Order: sequence, then C-alpha cells, then structure tokens
Amino acid sequence: MRLLPSFSLHRPRTLREALELLRDLDEAKPFAGGTDLLLDLREGVCQAKHLVDLGRVEELRYIREADGKIRIGAITTYTQLLRSELIAANVPVLREAAACVGSVQTRNMGTIGGNLCNASPGADTAPPLLILDAELTIASLEGSRSIPLSGLFAGPKMNSLRPGELLTEIRFPIPPAGSGASFHKLGRRRGYTLSLINAAAFLEVGSDVCREARVAIGACAPTPIRMSTLEGMLRGKRLCRRLIEEAASACHGLVKPSTRAHARASVDYRRAMSSVLTRRALMDAWERARGNLR
Amino acid sequence: MEYDKILENLLGREDYLVVGRSVVRTDALDKALGRAKFTADYIPRGTAMVKVVRSTQPHALIKRVDVEAALMVHGVLAALTAADVPGHNQIGYALPDQPFLNGRKVHYIGDPLALVCGEDEYAAAEGVDAVEVEYEPLPAAFTIDAALETSATPIHEDGNVALTTRIRKGDIGKGFSEAKVELEETFETPYQEHMYLEPEAAYAFPEGAGKVTVIGTMQSPFLVREKVAHILGWNLNQVRIIQALTGGAFGGKDDMGPLVCAKAALAAVKLKRPMALVFDRDESAAYTPKRFPARIRYRSGADGSGRITAAKVDITVDCGAYANRAPFWLWRMTAHASGPYEIANASVDGRAVYTNKVFGGSFRGFGDVAIHFAAESQIDQLADELGMDSVELRLRNVLKTGSKTTCDQLLDHSVGIEKCLLGVAEASDWTSKRQPKRRGNNVRGVGVACAHHGISTSRAAPDWSAASLILNQDGAFTYRTGICELGQGSPVGHAKIVAEILGASLDSIRIEVPDTDSTLNARPTHGSRGIMLGGSAAADAALKLRRRMVEVAADLLGCDEAAVDLRDGRAFNRGDPSKWVGFKELAEELYVNGVSPAAYGFYAPPRRFFDPETGLGVSYPVYTFAASVAEVEVDVETGQVDIIKVWPAMDVGRAIDPLMIEGQIHGAISQGIGFVLMEHLLVDDGMVINPNFKDYIVPSALDTPKVAKLIIVEEPYRHSAFGAKGVGEPAIISIVPAIANAIHHATGVRFNTLPITAERLHAALRRLNR
Repeated sequence: MRLLPSFSLHRPRTLREALELLRDLDEAKPFAGGTDLLLDLREGVCQAKHLVDLGRVEELRYIREADGKIRIGAITTYTQLLRSELIAANVPVLREAAACVGSVQTRNMGTIGGNLCNASPGADTAPPLLILDAELTIASLEGSRSIPLSGLFAGPKMNSLRPGELLTEIRFPIPPAGSGASFHKLGRRRGYTLSLINAAAFLEVGSDVCREARVAIGACAPTPIRMSTLEGMLRGKRLCRRLIEEAASACHGLVKPSTRAHARASVDYRRAMSSVLTRRALMDAWERARGNLR
Repeated sequence: MEYDKILENLLGREDYLVVGRSVVRTDALDKALGRAKFTADYIPRGTAMVKVVRSTQPHALIKRVDVEAALMVHGVLAALTAADVPGHNQIGYALPDQPFLNGRKVHYIGDPLALVCGEDEYAAAEGVDAVEVEYEPLPAAFTIDAALETSATPIHEDGNVALTTRIRKGDIGKGFSEAKVELEETFETPYQEHMYLEPEAAYAFPEGAGKVTVIGTMQSPFLVREKVAHILGWNLNQVRIIQALTGGAFGGKDDMGPLVCAKAALAAVKLKRPMALVFDRDESAAYTPKRFPARIRYRSGADGSGRITAAKVDITVDCGAYANRAPFWLWRMTAHASGPYEIANASVDGRAVYTNKVFGGSFRGFGDVAIHFAAESQIDQLADELGMDSVELRLRNVLKTGSKTTCDQLLDHSVGIEKCLLGVAEASDWTSKRQPKRRGNNVRGVGVACAHHGISTSRAAPDWSAASLILNQDGAFTYRTGICELGQGSPVGHAKIVAEILGASLDSIRIEVPDTDSTLNARPTHGSRGIMLGGSAAADAALKLRRRMVEVAADLLGCDEAAVDLRDGRAFNRGDPSKWVGFKELAEELYVNGVSPAAYGFYAPPRRFFDPETGLGVSYPVYTFAASVAEVEVDVETGQVDIIKVWPAMDVGRAIDPLMIEGQIHGAISQGIGFVLMEHLLVDDGMVINPNFKDYIVPSALDTPKVAKLIIVEEPYRHSAFGAKGVGEPAIISIVPAIANAIHHATGVRFNTLPITAERLHAALRRLNR
C-alpha cells in the first residue's frame, strides 16, 4: 500500500458540469462514495490526475416511483436505500443486499451507482438488481441511452461506459403480486466482509406454477451473471422443493469461478456454494411469493 | 513475604473498599471521547519522517546498498545504513542473530536495510523507492522441512536450528506400558497477526548533546531504553522513553517497540532534529512478528481408569528469519506440554527452526495456545477411545494442590483448575448436551477445554517490578509505573491496590504515563505479569507510604499507630472515628516534618530454581488456570461455524477488578475465534500477500458469541498483592481447543490444523459424506 498519490479534485454541482469536466480534463475519473477508489489509488491499481466527485450532484440522489417503476439516482447511498420505505415495501431483496455491504461507514459513503460501475464480480447490489430486470440510464453530453444492467459489466472491475459517459439512473419494474425475491451471501465472517459468493432469486407464481424465474449469482464468474439455463428449468413448471433443488444443483456446472491463485475461495468451494446459495434464495423467494398474493 | 496475609492482617477489613469490586476505569471517559493521546497524536504537523527500505528478497547476500539517487530526491534529508549505526548493530533479544539494519545479508522479504529521512512522508517514500540494492540471491527455505534438509542453505551462521529444549520426567517406557489406549497425532498451528488498531509508531527528539527522548507505542519502556542506548552506544541515562497510551499490543509491541523507537531515535540523533516514524497497515501486517507457527507431534496414553500414564511430545517452532523470542516461546511450550494435568511420565523435545519468512514473536498466550490446542484435542480423543466423558477424564487428571507439573514443579497452593472445570460444566449444563442436536442443515455441539499458564518469564529468569508513588501537598497522589496501559487496564488495577492500602479514593490517584527518567525499571508488560508483579510493587510503595502517613497521623490524633486507620481520604482513630485528619492536612504535616511523602515500590517474587539441562525445576512463580465450554452451530452445507455461547471460568488468585477481567475474557474469546476459525496469513514464496483488513479476516462484532458470566475462582497466590495472578493471556488459551472440540462434537470431524475455515470444514464434511 502506498501513500495516497496526488490528484486534483473537482466537485461539480450539476450533471452537466460533471459531464463537461469529464470532457475537458485529461485522465479524469469520476467517483461517488470513493470507498473502492481510495483503496485502488493507494494500491496503485488506478491512476488519475483528476478526480471528479459526483457526491454533490444532488439531482442524481433520489428514490422514487413512476410509471410502475422504481427509479434510483446513481449517487443514492446504501444507507439511503436502507431508510427508504419505498424500497422496504416493494423490493426488500435490495434492502437485504444493501444491509450487508461493508460497515455503517461504508454504507454511509458508498453508492448504488458506484457499486455497479466499480463492476466487482462480487458487488452485492448486482444480483438483486439483475433479477429485478434493472435498466440503466447512461448520460453523456451527446444525450442519454438506456441499457440493461447486464450490459454494464464488461469484466472484473471493468464497465462498458465510454469515456465521457456517466451512469445516472437505475430503474426496475415494481414486482407484481404473487412474486417474491431473496438474497443470500456467504462471506468469511458474519459481517463487514466481501462476498465469497452471493445469489439472488426472483419467482412469480400462480396456482403453484412458476410464471417467471430469475436467478443471478455474484463472484462466480468474471462478472455478476444471470443464470438463464437454470431459469428455463423453472419457468412454466409446477414448483416443488425437488424441482428447485434440481435447478439449483445445475449451478454447479454453469458457473465459472476465478482460478486465480490466492482467490478468496477455491473453484470447488464456489461451485458447491453457488448451488447451496441458489437453492436457499429460491426457497425463500418461493415462500415469499406464496405469501405475497395480495 | 506473604503479601496476601500481610494485607489482610494490616487492613483488617471484612470487605475491601475497591479491590474485588468493578469500577469505572479512570481512563474510560477520555478513551470513549477520543481525548486519549496515542503516539501519533504527539507528532507535530510538519515533523520530518523516517521510512524503512526493506528487502525484496527472501534470502540473499547484499552486494551494494546505493543511496545516492535517494539523496537527490527533493525533500530527502538523509539515508542511513548499517554503517551509520554508532553503537551496536546487533539487536536480537535472545540470540545475537538480528541486525538492526542489514548490511551483509537479508533473511526475509521485509528485512530492514536502510532508513530514509524526508521532510515529509512523501519525500521519504520517494527516497525509499530510489534506493538501489544489489543482491546475490541464496536458496531460500520457506518451510521447517525445507530448512531442516541437510542440503539447506544456512540462514544464520550456526545452521537452521536456533535452539532445542528437552524434558525427561519419570519413565516414559513404563508409562506407555501401563496405558490401555494410546494415540499419536500431529497438530499444526499457523501465524497469527496481532492487527492492533494502532500501528507501530515513534516520535523522537534530541535534547541537547547526548540525550534523546522517544515517545512511542510499546510494552516495555525499559527494554526500549536499553535497545536505543545499545544502538547509539550511549548510557541508559542518555535515553528517555515515554510510553504513550498504546492502542493494542498483544505481545507485538513488546517486540516492535524497541525496533521502531530505535529507528526514530537514530534518525533524530543523526539529523539533530525531531523525527517520527509511523508504520503503514500493510507494513505492520507483512513485516512485523506474528504468533510463531508450530508443529506438534503428540503421543499419549491412558489406563483403564482414565489416568493419563504418559505423554511424549515433539515440538517444532517455525522461527522465521530470526529467533526473536523463540527461546522463551519454545521453553513455555515445553514446560506446559502435559496441559493442566498431572502426567507422571513425560518426555518432551523441542526445536526452533529458521526459515526465510517474516519472523515469529510474542503474542497473547505465547506458546501455550498451540500446546494446549494439541494437549486438549488429544485428551478429548483419549476420552473417546476410553468411552469416557471428556469432562470426567479431565477431572481424573487435573493438577491439584500437591501435584507436579511437566517440569516436576510442585504446586503447593493456588491451584484452581478443578473448580474452574466443575464450574463451566455445571453452568453450561454439560451433561444435558452430550448429544449433538441437528436442525435442518445446522448441527450444534459443545466442547470443553482447560488451560494453565505460568505467570511471567519461563525458566526461573530473574524477575522484579517497581513503582513510584508521591503524596502531593493537596492530599492527592501521583502514581507512576513502567507497566504499560495497552487497553487492558493494568495500571488502573495498580491504582486500586494503592487506593485500598491507603484508603484513598481512586479519583485522587493520578496515573502518569511511564517515563524511564522518573521511575525505575518495572520490567515488561508481558507474560501476564502486569498486575501480579507490577501491582505488588505498587502495594510495596503504598505500604511504605502508609507507614509514614500512619506515623504522622498518630501524632496528630494523639493515639497509637495501631489505632490509626486510613479510609475515604482521611486518617482516623479506630477507637474514636470522630477524631480524624484529612489527607491534605496530613500531607502538609509530612512535608513540614521532613517525613518523605514519596515512596518507590520494589518487588521480586521468591527466587526459583530451574535446570535447563533436564528441563526440571520451578519454571514459573505460579500458574493461572482457566476452563471454557463452547457451544457451536455448524452449517453442514457451507461449513460455516457459528459460536453460539461460551462459558468461561478462571482462577485469578484474587480479582482486583471483576469487570476488567471480563473485558479480558471477551476480547480473548474474539481473538481466539479468529485464530481457530478464520485468521489465515497467506505467505507465497516468503511474501505476505494479505497484509490488510480486507483479506486478513479477523472476527467482527457480529461474530461475537454470547458469553456467560465469568466464573471467577479465587485461589490466592501467597506472594502477590491480595493474591492476584495474571489474566490477559490465560483468557485466550482454553477457548481455541474448546471450539475445535465442539466442532468435532457437532460433526465428527477432528481438525488438527488451524484455522478451521468454512471451506476446509466443508471439504472435510464432504469427504465424510455428511
């Protein structure tokens, strides 16, 4: 670990100002909470002459409902997610994921947009947002575009944003009645820790038939991933414990954990745990779906 | 001198005023509010900084250390190498194998080569990067087996075995011939990093010619003074050491305090200006000593009645690059090899082996954590073999008054292990928990373990402590000791002892930070000796002052000295309590009448005898005993272990402050959980690759179990103030095997190697197909 290298800090107040700074400055890097960035700078993983702090761009801080969707501004912190009644009432799965990120201090600083753009394979908000079918707004001075969340992840700690672009909003449809979702995480201790693996599941049921199934797993591939093969095994089927177990055990062969030496867990353990966590997430989601018929 | 009786007879109190009662620590508020000052808080902004140039090679001859380019860096003031050390460059604590700055050879990745001094941290860091070192690499040994091969390259001149130990007690052949069951197992325990919140730091400033003051984070100001003087080639009185409040130490600061303070002092003396040094977290975690790893081969047997008849123990300690405290560590393991049990026939062999890795060093529990992990796992397995309850088997073998230890030391009093064991068995409702309980994927089990820990230094090494006490003219006291406040509260315990003897309020006793210029050598704050030895020195000072206060008070009150009692800041006539004099007035009388109002306390436990050839003798003045029951819940699908509850007991001699003892227990349980379940230093070809909180996992608050009320057993030690024995280290020893035994009880999986990570347990369960 080195001393924090020197850099110029820019603190725009508006999105436009931020985008202009990114255009005008040489080697500028945007950040929000800085909880990942500070470590990356000290470890020399990331170099930047100019840092653009998005933390004061208040127009990007919101959680609201519109057109049957929940919209979250990119610089919304984990703590704000945890305190939101809208989130608690409609997507407790996102709350569960936000609650187990780092410590109170990390959750006060870290943001949902930062968590996604940092593109860690184990990012805790990624699996729940993937199973909520989240879409992103990407802004630039040329205009804005929408992409599915899965399109953001380009590789370990690599996102697909082009120079001069910023993630501004995350949105997803409010889950319908008869649906349930759940998030499970495995770390090396019970709290304040990175995920060795995490998983989220979403099920929508009608008279015990699975209308929709979505499963996402983190830290088991170069990026957080949706498990479409597994989803296909459940969709349209009559749900039962055995079917869920069968589907979950398929994870084992579908995930591609890092083979890097000194990875935080071995390939075998991650494979085995992907099945265990997926089954647990599916069972919980199923139970919640059945209790959520409104 | 039988201190416990003297105090009881002298004070003649049915109930003590503060001893034995839990009080709010006098330093609690400052610490809670962030007002307490630690070393880095003393460093003025703008102070020039020192950074260490470290070896990038695990084992190599040094061809050249070129600092020219570093000196060209803007802001670099100087670069100091071995050639700049004016005194002695050899700083090994026990063996002369450790250069202060390496000039000839490097022994591990991180070995210090030079010090770069800069106007600020950035300049110094840039200077460090600019130093050119040319090495001639040597073959490196990273494991004890590699280091012991005949073809291994010697890491130090006398080969790769730093030292050996040996005990022969009774007749081992006869012992095994009497055994009905016999087991041999090999246990391995890893490094453990202290991860104290406050990293190593020192601030040094020269005072005129031939004097330097260092403020630092440490456990032994007098050892720091000795080493700084040694490096500078000065007398002890030319070096003044002040111990700032220390933010966690656990043994690590005992080893690092002198090394860090000497670096700052050398720079300050050479540059004739204040210099500071503050380690980075990864510097602290990668390059400073850790708990010594050990491998223990343990063979033992028991007869049909459950008597353990023989133990043959073979211990190998992995020193890393330097012996450091290995002689003390290995002797402690050797002397405690039987566990807290009386085994008539014991044969113990130990060796400490150099490897080209970060060196081992002091850590809470010293070698007793590892040796008890082995002994307590072993006795559980013997119980299984005999089909006997594991508490029952322990009860049949525990040390009692009249027993002899592994070293053949007769224990003639203060032996409370049986009470501890019975206490935790009853409190945990042991007999009702004999069947593991399964619910879904979770299975619960319980484990028990005992511990004993010889207080202070092994092998009957000379030992003493000291303190100073001043009665000021306003009737309030200034207390000073070289025993350090590391978070554990030992000096507050001393103040309580003083308060009890003098009848003073605790608030009227101000505890000053240790300062080697104003008090005498109290010896280190290690070996759980702070309260037992330091507190007894405090008692000695208080008793001396009390005599003078009573003498003067008797005059003032016109009564016999025997009638005078001291209480609530007053001296009064026991026969007529309405006649009294306050301490302020009393203090004035002492000053005016030329009766010294200050006292130095000095204390040494009875001399002991130990024969290093046979390993027999009185190795320690007394032992603290402890027992724990742990209940765990294992998720058999993931391998995760949840510690549900711990029931602790300890024979502390006399509890000076029950709440502070509970504090030690709670902290030790967390640290023990870390060691047994998750802490795992990864060393790859000599390089520590996880020297940070992100990947060196220590337990969090959420990993803390319920802890039942501590069962305090009091079997007083005759030769210490109020009979107190040390608690800091004994607190951690039994928790480690208790958890490992509980995991075995729950799952049937026995781990002889730590840590028992979720991944390892999961793999083991899968092999057993559970």
